[in-house]
Amino acid sequence: MTSEKPPFRRVLIANRGEIAVRIIRACHEMGIEAVAVYSDADVHAAHVRLADAAVRLGPAAPSESYLRIDAVIEAARSTGSEAIHPGYGFLAERAVFARAAEDAGIVFVGPSSETIEALGDKLHARRLAARVGVPSVPGTLQPAPVDHPDKVAQIIATARTIGFPLLVKASAGGGGRGMRRVTREEDLAAALVSGSREAASAFGDGSVYLEREILPARHIEVQLLADAHGNVVALGERDCSLQRRHQKLVEEAPAPGLTEDQRRQLHGLAIRLAREAALRNAATCEFLHDPDGNFWFLEVNTRLQVEHGVTELVSGVDIVREQLRIAAGAPLSAEVIAAGERAAVPSSHAIEVRIAAEDPARAFAPTPGQVGRWVMAAGPGIRVDTHIEAGDRVPADYDNLIAKLMVHAGDRDTAIDRLRRALDETEIGGVQTTLPFHRIVARSDAFRAGEVSTGWVEQHWDGDAVRADAVRRALLATGLSMLDGAVVGVGSAVATGSGSPDGAQPPGRNGWRQGTRAQGVDRWPS
Amino acid sequence: MAELTTPAPGAASKGSPANDGHAVAPGQDVAATAPVDPRAVRVRLAASSRADGEAMVRVSPVTGPLRMTNPTVGLGPLGGVALPPQAEAVKGVLAQRHVLVDDSRVEVSLTPSGGGRYVLDEAGERSRVILEPASAADGGVQIREVIVDGFRFLVESESERIAALRERASHGRASSAHSGPLQVKAIIPGKVVSVSVVPGDAVTAGQQLLVVEAMKMQNELRAPRDGTIDRVGVVVGVNIEIGDLLVVIS
Repeated sequence: MTSEKPPFRRVLIANRGEIAVRIIRACHEMGIEAVAVYSDADVHAAHVRLADAAVRLGPAAPSESYLRIDAVIEAARSTGSEAIHPGYGFLAERAVFARAAEDAGIVFVGPSSETIEALGDKLHARRLAARVGVPSVPGTLQPAPVDHPDKVAQIIATARTIGFPLLVKASAGGGGRGMRRVTREEDLAAALVSGSREAASAFGDGSVYLEREILPARHIEVQLLADAHGNVVALGERDCSLQRRHQKLVEEAPAPGLTEDQRRQLHGLAIRLAREAALRNAATCEFLHDPDGNFWFLEVNTRLQVEHGVTELVSGVDIVREQLRIAAGAPLSAEVIAAGERAAVPSSHAIEVRIAAEDPARAFAPTPGQVGRWVMAAGPGIRVDTHIEAGDRVPADYDNLIAKLMVHAGDRDTAIDRLRRALDETEIGGVQTTLPFHRIVARSDAFRAGEVSTGWVEQHWDGDAVRADAVRRALLATGLSMLDGAVVGVGSAVATGSGSPDGAQPPGRNGWRQGTRAQGVDRWPS
Repeated sequence: MAELTTPAPGAASKGSPANDGHAVAPGQDVAATAPVDPRAVRVRLAASSRADGEAMVRVSPVTGPLRMTNPTVGLGPLGGVALPPQAEAVKGVLAQRHVLVDDSRVEVSLTPSGGGRYVLDEAGERSRVILEPASAADGGVQIREVIVDGFRFLVESESERIAALRERASHGRASSAHSGPLQVKAIIPGKVVSVSVVPGDAVTAGQQLLVVEAMKMQNELRAPRDGTIDRVGVVVGVNIEIGDLLVVIS
């Protein structure tokens, strides 16, 4: 029997990949039937296999399957699903989708469509923050007058007060689209026009605004849970500074180096925003943290985050389970309230690396294909969320994320040791993944010292050098194995007794390569 | 017979084997400048894994007695624990030996630890390497996936003896890996959507040969080197599998 009455009888998961699998697992633990949806590329995918029922949406292209609001709502209706969990990505932050579910009498597991709409507009979110005294990244609060050449002088004057370099950002933006970095004021007008045009084509809304570029900065976000009864809890913060192309690679909870006072301050800012926005269910407030210790509000994500697992490990709260409870109208549980009270004094540490089908030595270019060897780490303090098994295809149509490797330990140093060990156990063939990058992170003195920032990858990752060293050993090992069947003859070597064991290894050194430092090449300037 | 050499203390590999810090033994020069050993193996990254400037290497045996070292297999930073002598006989002692990588002498061993996993030991510095089974040798060239530090590469290997025979047959030269007809094979399964060359065409390195659609991606196949198109093995519309012969460049 389950510990409490299931909040729903049947829930449709409007997603694919590891997050669909993760949500199906939560449903099954709560005694809820899970309904999957799938495209033609995912007929044999893990989320389809695990679910209690599955509904085909259409061809592989997201616009013909996972992004089809009508098809997803119809799938929920035809299967008698009482609620829809959107996961992240796809329709998760589309207010029209939440509204379509509401109109169909199906519970949307997330905030109300009004909240999603309001917070999806970054300018609106910035104005909301200003109302409750939460400092946003310095910049403008209204759309830039892109279509009014007579106001160019005015916007340049504004830009001067913000300071260069600055960013032109799309109000409806995400994933860096519509974003332009401007270093000189003579380039501003052109950047506004091109950024606006890109935003208009990507989001159907060409509104752009100006924001100071904060560098170096850390990206720190606060996990929130809020119920329909006015309770809001911050479960703790995550540091997600290690990014490439504005996409996160490594996340950890708690953020290293913050004091208890800083945590209380940060969590308080996020809770103030959540109350003002009438947030419900799970959401995340993102901030930039500058070297002077300031927190600048960036945006609110009104959905489950990819990296929610590290907060689950540290807080002990199953966020997806809570999402489903909250969606059914239940108040935040006593455990969640207690976890919120502990959040400023975390007693353990968790790190997640996103294993994606990308080549880290080729500017993280996508590498779709068929997975060969697939061995995931296990043992104490390890959690792997994945939808992949050996032989599966990684389709080019969707996100590259193929596994989230999470480690949990009593403190950050031990967690890093565990991460290094777990990555050593991880074996993936068939497609190139981000594993080489993560191995370097786990061995980096700068990372261990907590020196993380959004510029970390550019400063510390020398993909060509790491790759060249691996190539050299790959060729050498292949040549040796070919030479004479490698070590087939070792038994006879013993018999001939043609030597004695010698202590070739210096004492105190275990002989295992410890990354590039072992070679005496310091690629980690601090 | 070449002399047995021992690395100078602390002379661990410093990156490129071409300039490592090993002691140079008398007799090495002879080995380095002698005609290529027919027992040698040529290895290089397959075209799909190769980046600019990544060349073939030749690994050749160095004749001489084997030097024994402590068996240190297994995972983890504590893996470097020597087994007691009795255990060595049971588990097998690893031959730490010298080979020539191109012209430099390196001290290495490769020890299987099961399931395609190996421990590569370069003068005491160990790393884990996975060697997947090679595809059936076609024309003497084996292709296998090799995984090192999270990187996966497709590696081609060919015995020097066979390569030399092949080269002599086609060009009467055995000195260059780039002589002889080059068979361009499929490295991904998919469908041929366009073919840009016909037999007799002169091509330059990097020129597009054909386009294969796989996983909704158009993959351009480019000429790995200059030459003349000898044969085109596919036409537009056919489905290809890994290893299928696509184009021969002479």
